[in-house]
Amino acid sequence: MRRARLWRAGEAVAEPGLPTGFDALDAMLPGGGWPFPGLIEILSARPGSGGLRLLLPVLARLSHEPRWLIWVAPPYQPYAPALETAGLALRRVMVIDLATETPGMEGAAQPSAAANTDVLWAFEQALRFPGCGAALLWPREIDALCLRRLQLACEAGGTLGVLFRPAECAAQASPAALRLLLTPQPACVALDIAILKCRGSLRARACRVPDPGVGVGPAAAQLHDPST
Amino acid sequence: MNKPGEGVSPVLTPLQPLQRLIHSVPRTPPRAVPVGALPAATPSPVLWLAIHLPQLALDIITRAHAERRACVLVDGDGVRQRIACVNREAARLGIRPGMAPGAAHALGEVQVLARTPAAEDAALARLCAWAWQFTPVVSVDAPDTLLLEVRGSLALFGGLHGLLSRLRRGLRELGMQGFAFAAAPTPRGATWLARGRQTAAIDSLAALPAALAMLPLDVLCLPVKQLQDLHGIGVHTLGDCWRLPREGLTRRFAPALLQEFDRALGREPDPRSAFTPPACFAERLDLLWEIRQVQMLATGMERLLHELGGNLRAQGTVLRGFTWTLHHRDGERTSHRIALVAPSRDVAHFARLTREYFARRRLTSPVRAIELEAGDFEVQQVPVMEDLFRRGPAAQESEERWPQFLERLQARLGAAALKQIVARSDHRPERAMQTVPIGTPLSGSVTTDSPVHRRRSRPLWLTREPLPLPERNGRPALGGVLTLSPERERVQGGWWEGVDLARDYFVARDSHGTRWWVFRELGGSRGWYLHGLFE
Repeated sequence: MRRARLWRAGEAVAEPGLPTGFDALDAMLPGGGWPFPGLIEILSARPGSGGLRLLLPVLARLSHEPRWLIWVAPPYQPYAPALETAGLALRRVMVIDLATETPGMEGAAQPSAAANTDVLWAFEQALRFPGCGAALLWPREIDALCLRRLQLACEAGGTLGVLFRPAECAAQASPAALRLLLTPQPACVALDIAILKCRGSLRARACRVPDPGVGVGPAAAQLHDPST
Repeated sequence: MNKPGEGVSPVLTPLQPLQRLIHSVPRTPPRAVPVGALPAATPSPVLWLAIHLPQLALDIITRAHAERRACVLVDGDGVRQRIACVNREAARLGIRPGMAPGAAHALGEVQVLARTPAAEDAALARLCAWAWQFTPVVSVDAPDTLLLEVRGSLALFGGLHGLLSRLRRGLRELGMQGFAFAAAPTPRGATWLARGRQTAAIDSLAALPAALAMLPLDVLCLPVKQLQDLHGIGVHTLGDCWRLPREGLTRRFAPALLQEFDRALGREPDPRSAFTPPACFAERLDLLWEIRQVQMLATGMERLLHELGGNLRAQGTVLRGFTWTLHHRDGERTSHRIALVAPSRDVAHFARLTREYFARRRLTSPVRAIELEAGDFEVQQVPVMEDLFRRGPAAQESEERWPQFLERLQARLGAAALKQIVARSDHRPERAMQTVPIGTPLSGSVTTDSPVHRRRSRPLWLTREPLPLPERNGRPALGGVLTLSPERERVQGGWWEGVDLARDYFVARDSHGTRWWVFRELGGSRGWYLHGLFE
């Protein structure tokens, strides 16, 4: 087992990633940050579990590079004042809005079945476009073949692709470069992050990122500020 | 391979390599050195390239389809109708030019089409406009040959070989199946060599007679009677003809024939009317059979786009958009405009836009013809770099490609689907953000930082409309009863714009830990509403 020709996953040196802006998360990820270019899956049981907040520092950084941030069929309207406070350059934000339906009482929209193909197509185009920094998608349903395509599109365009998916998808195999499972902790105001899969050697399996808590205000802004 | 005396090529022959290149023709001195001719080794200052299209009549009809079916073209009328031209599939069935249409039908399933000389002339004129990209001197030699004066273009296109490979590729993209090239110092000489399938390049006038002498008389496109008479006296090649006494030839045949020879050999001037391309493009492609699936139209559309692209390259112009018109079965027409964000002449990009545009559309009824129109050719502006030092090459490249990317998305999703978001300085949550179509110039009222939003907590998501929430024990419920934060934010006012708000906003937490942004109306029913989601 000690042969030089044997490739061992634990020894693999990951390419440097993009710093996430959260020290606990950076310390855990193989490249010291988000795999870039690459496809990330963020799984959570419910919407609003903090996945987008994890990405805000890197989105802010990419938008000032300047590269485009393309939001494909988001469930709600991204709220411009909050994004601006988080440091995103809004003139680099494009929202692709397609025919949607609102299944639940929480008002979260998801692409209609007919529009689903268009949504995936638009997302892939965005990933393949080198001027795009990151593309975000809240997919309705997506199969393994399609995921593979998207991962290749990220590598072709040099972009960060982010899929926000329900936690049930954890069992499904995926070619994504990184898969995270988020669990908010209502009791102790924090966000638990578990790594389901990543490329390269893993330094830890799970970590906890402090949650800014109920009083999202100046404190939150500081946390989101890429300069800190 | 053609045998002399067969006239129009019966079968598609694979393109031969240039058998004889410049200077490779044996420079035997001609038997009668014409007075005033150039010395033997001097290359001629002009070089005419003839593109002979023996299958033009058939190609312009069949090129809309990728699928190849046996087709033949008939000439003449009534019982004297004869097949003039066959394609490869028809030749495989054993059909040859000169057969009667009935015989062709007996050999297999074949589509018989009538020849339309007017369409052929129009096609030649359009090919001229396309060929203008290679040289500014282009002329038509009816019925089936294009003439290009290429001496000045050789250096640019990498010699005759480079030019010919560009031409071959271009003609194939247009859907031309059969073509032959020849180059000579005189236009007529080049035409005859090309018609005689002598893929030669003759560089000097002195070498021309020897090269032309072995050509069959068919290359002259003479009336049938004259041709028969000449064959009758044992004259089969141009060389045979030149051995006859000039006076006798003039008396027995038209003096025009002798003049033709003199022009071909460069003894008399042969002026050609120069072609000027039009500054617009409109072409209709009739389909041989009705098409029901939009994907099957792709071949024909690409052919038209390549032709358009040649026109644009020739004139150094760009486009802001083009229009497809589909002619349906019942005389009905549908028009599809494809607009470009930035002017372009990139054929591959046009084709991509067209594909994306039609990918989402279904044909209402079968299509019989497609038409491409483009007007308003614009002279291409050289882009001005705003700042030489600040913008890296990578950023600049992505800026250039952004319009194309946007056009591709717009072609498929529609312009209304692409939006950008703007933050405005307003204390009312709905008014603090605005969604506008992408590319909208932003006015001065756009804030970059509003103190309200920095001081107060704002959610990352806003619902499209405030959603009414049921109330339980004086508190809002979403699934279960929500826990409200102690702080409240009062938002009031706006009556001066007709949107009068009076709300108390709270951050509410549900049993899973998700934080929502809710408000209670201060007036009226005092109802609870969901308005946003924190992450």
